[in-house]
Amino acid sequence: MINKVFEINNLDLFYGDFQALKGINIDIENNKVTALIGPSGCGKSTFLRSLNRMNDLIDICHITGNIEFEEMDIYESGYDVINLRTKVGMVFQKPNPFPMSIYDNVAYGPRCQGIKDKKVLNKIVESSLKSAAIYEEVKDRIKDNALSLSGGQQQRLCIARAIAMKPEVILMDEPTSALDPIATLKIEELINDLKDEYTIVIVTHNMQQAARISDYTAFFLMGELIEMGETNKIFTQPTHQKTEDYITGRFG
Amino acid sequence: MEIVRKVNNKFLKIKNKNKKEKIDIVVNLFFLISTIISASFIIIIIVFISVKGIIPFITDNNGIGSVNIFKFLTGDVWLSGTAFKSNLYSVGFIIVNTLYIALLSLLLSLPVGVLTALFIAKVAPKKIAEFLRTVIELLASIPSIVYGLFGSGVILVFVYNFADILGIQSKGGNSVMATVMVLALMTLPTITAISEVSIRSVGKDIEHGSLALGATKTQTNFKVILSSAKSGIFASAILGIGRALGEATAVSLVAGNAKSGPTLAFFETTSTLTSTMLEGLKETTGIDYDIRFSVGIVLMVVILLTNIILNYIKKKVGNVDVK
Amino acid sequence: MSNKRKVIDYTYQIITYLAAFVAVGTLSLIFMFVFSNGYKLLNIGLIVNDYHATFYNGALEENIEFSTTTRPTSLDSETYYSKKWGLGLKDDFDREGNSIIIVDYIASDSPLLAMYNKNNEEFTELIVFKEGQLVSKIAYFDKSTSLTRTGAEIMIYDLDSSESVREIVYSSLGGGIRGSIITTFYLIAITIAIALPIGIFTAIYLNEFAHKNRITTILRSLIEVLTGVPSIIFGLMGLAVFVPLTIKLTQADSANIISGSLTLAVILLPVIIRATEESLKVVPDTLRESSLALGANKTQTTFKVVLPSAIPGILTATLLAIGRVIGESAALIFAIGTAVKDDISIFGKSTSLSVHIWSMMKDEPANIELASTIAIIILMIVLLLNITIKLISKRFIRELG
Repeated sequence: MINKVFEINNLDLFYGDFQALKGINIDIENNKVTALIGPSGCGKSTFLRSLNRMNDLIDICHITGNIEFEEMDIYESGYDVINLRTKVGMVFQKPNPFPMSIYDNVAYGPRCQGIKDKKVLNKIVESSLKSAAIYEEVKDRIKDNALSLSGGQQQRLCIARAIAMKPEVILMDEPTSALDPIATLKIEELINDLKDEYTIVIVTHNMQQAARISDYTAFFLMGELIEMGETNKIFTQPTHQKTEDYITGRFG
Repeated sequence: MEIVRKVNNKFLKIKNKNKKEKIDIVVNLFFLISTIISASFIIIIIVFISVKGIIPFITDNNGIGSVNIFKFLTGDVWLSGTAFKSNLYSVGFIIVNTLYIALLSLLLSLPVGVLTALFIAKVAPKKIAEFLRTVIELLASIPSIVYGLFGSGVILVFVYNFADILGIQSKGGNSVMATVMVLALMTLPTITAISEVSIRSVGKDIEHGSLALGATKTQTNFKVILSSAKSGIFASAILGIGRALGEATAVSLVAGNAKSGPTLAFFETTSTLTSTMLEGLKETTGIDYDIRFSVGIVLMVVILLTNIILNYIKKKVGNVDVK
Repeated sequence: MSNKRKVIDYTYQIITYLAAFVAVGTLSLIFMFVFSNGYKLLNIGLIVNDYHATFYNGALEENIEFSTTTRPTSLDSETYYSKKWGLGLKDDFDREGNSIIIVDYIASDSPLLAMYNKNNEEFTELIVFKEGQLVSKIAYFDKSTSLTRTGAEIMIYDLDSSESVREIVYSSLGGGIRGSIITTFYLIAITIAIALPIGIFTAIYLNEFAHKNRITTILRSLIEVLTGVPSIIFGLMGLAVFVPLTIKLTQADSANIISGSLTLAVILLPVIIRATEESLKVVPDTLRESSLALGANKTQTTFKVVLPSAIPGILTATLLAIGRVIGESAALIFAIGTAVKDDISIFGKSTSLSVHIWSMMKDEPANIELASTIAIIILMIVLLLNITIKLISKRFIRELG
């Protein structure tokens, strides 16, 4: 088994003339939760979005260096982006279910891959909803519009939607920032359960959250990776002064 | 378990495909072609109308000689001589008529429209404002031919009687005044609707600032709000004048189609570029037909120039942009 | 507040009220005018009848079997009845306001039902004589002819005292607008079928696929310029481009409904593109992103996620487009002509309802009544479209909010 899912070497990322990421070197380990922390605008979300090439959507964005996923450079020309995104799922900051039924939301991805068999789809939807710990709450109204769910439920549905693709990695971009504390707790529990099966990379603003759920933590500042290591170590004995300042709340 | 394996197999098979990106490229191309088609029509319009419209000037029109372009643009009689036997066409006076009428109609519809907009946006109670807004929207969607019908059924009669009282014999009411009134009515809803939006979007802080200085509500409305909404109001005027210049069928029913001019007196018959294009359309061919394309070119140029000039003025005047 | 200031204040206020009153008042006058002039003619007959009257010259065979039906009680007192001929006639006015004599009743055993067409004597075919038709002339062998101007009473008297008839000239009512209604429907259907896909695809391209570069900006502004072009110019284009094109490609040999529809389609393109784009813009970007993040490609994202959310907007665009087709006159005068027709072919000339109004008003003398009646129909449709659009956008807003 490969231990490293992602291997990032000398990653530079520009928005036009502005350099948003500077010489990032990082490895993401299999079946672990990696948290990305840092003040606003430090590039952590940008970094996350470069892992499944969502930055392609921005015309003026370009990249140097390389990101290897399963030992293939994902920015090499001819690389199958859509295939990449089926393997590297993503959950966004604000819950954003499609304006369709709960069922159709979860079945959306598999359907896009050409799965039409009703039985297969049912199975996928059920198991995904179960994995995302939302099945019990919605099983009786699976044909209801997804927008009728509460914010926390919507976010878990979005996680279920990502799981339905059977990805290897799930990227989460501040998944709890728009939720109340109870909903947040549920998502955190869910993340804990999911890490047995999936590699998770999560961007968070909340340092306690990073400490609670992650195995590794990476600290970003002004587009640079300052420090990366086991979460315990980062939070108890950081090597860098800047990391310590940030964690202890002296800035950011 | 069987079914799970099936799922996994399916995924494995699909994950190795690159077909979907190819679909994207094809679909993209297809949509691009649609867009190019949409964008090409303006070019088609300009090219074809120009080519057709230039014919009377550069050929000898089956022996009656080519039309003199200078005389065409400056003359004061539509056609000297007999149709099909003369090449002496000119639209100079019609250009003047067209601009004169459009300007007069704007002078009528702009103040009324803007004040109505002010009433709806700031003065009227909420329910009445909502009702009036709907009425204006409906009126804006009434086809111009209906305004023309109203013009020839009511306004012509009104103008005729009005002229009669003043001791002037008008030709059944067909006149500058009737045309101006029809056009003013037609552009009124457009001007009101657009001005209303821009008046409504003037910030509360500006309004409160004025009120806090001891200005009355009415003073605030006239002195602060209208001038803050200036650029939107100007935009509505530009749209209104564009519509007045280009309107054809309604005008053709009330203008009276004067063959010479220019007409400045209110109760005289007049003609516009558009009404000239429609006149006698049913029974004509040859140069008398092709010359309508030449009038079309003139109309497009007049509209284009008017727009450029008004937009220039708008930039100069409306430098306090609220947006 | 000083007195002078108060006066100025009130003056301004009154001006504002007055302006609003004038605007709304004058505009409601339009409705009143159209309805008061047009309501008299508004009936089913108008909608289903032909515009051009067809004339028949009917005559009878030698041996006539007279009717025995007595005057039905259902006939009103203004109808004059001849028992012998089984015919009831009545004075009336046509859609142009001329007096006419109309067939109010024919008994089922009337000998007049067995008339043959005199203009076609080789084939003694029977011709249809029915209620609602106009009798303009009855000629006899032995006395003077009775005409429309003699009135129904004398016409029936003359007929009742005769044993035979030389010729009856009668016609259908005419003045109907069936042809123009059918043309309008054709125009709507064909125009929408052409303009809607192109418009929607263009909007999708501009909003979903296009990169932000100069070419896109140029394409976009070329389309926007179309909005400012007056419809009469589109008409000229239709005449110069689509009329010859359709003559070449189809069986048409003059301006026709297809060339008209193509012209209208060009007029509608900017309307449809703009409305569709507006509704595409409202769809939040996160929906697109999460669809892409699930491994959907752009095509799937567009058709499965973006377009369904934009459907109310597209529907609104379609309704706006229909309203525009119904109201358009200047462009169509050039692109399909002004000849009012009864037999509608998409390869031939005819008039839409709006052009029909124009044609009526350009006639000498103008027929304001019929024009107003058509205007009522147009206004009703426009009103209905507007209400529907409002309902759609209200529901749309509620669903999003």
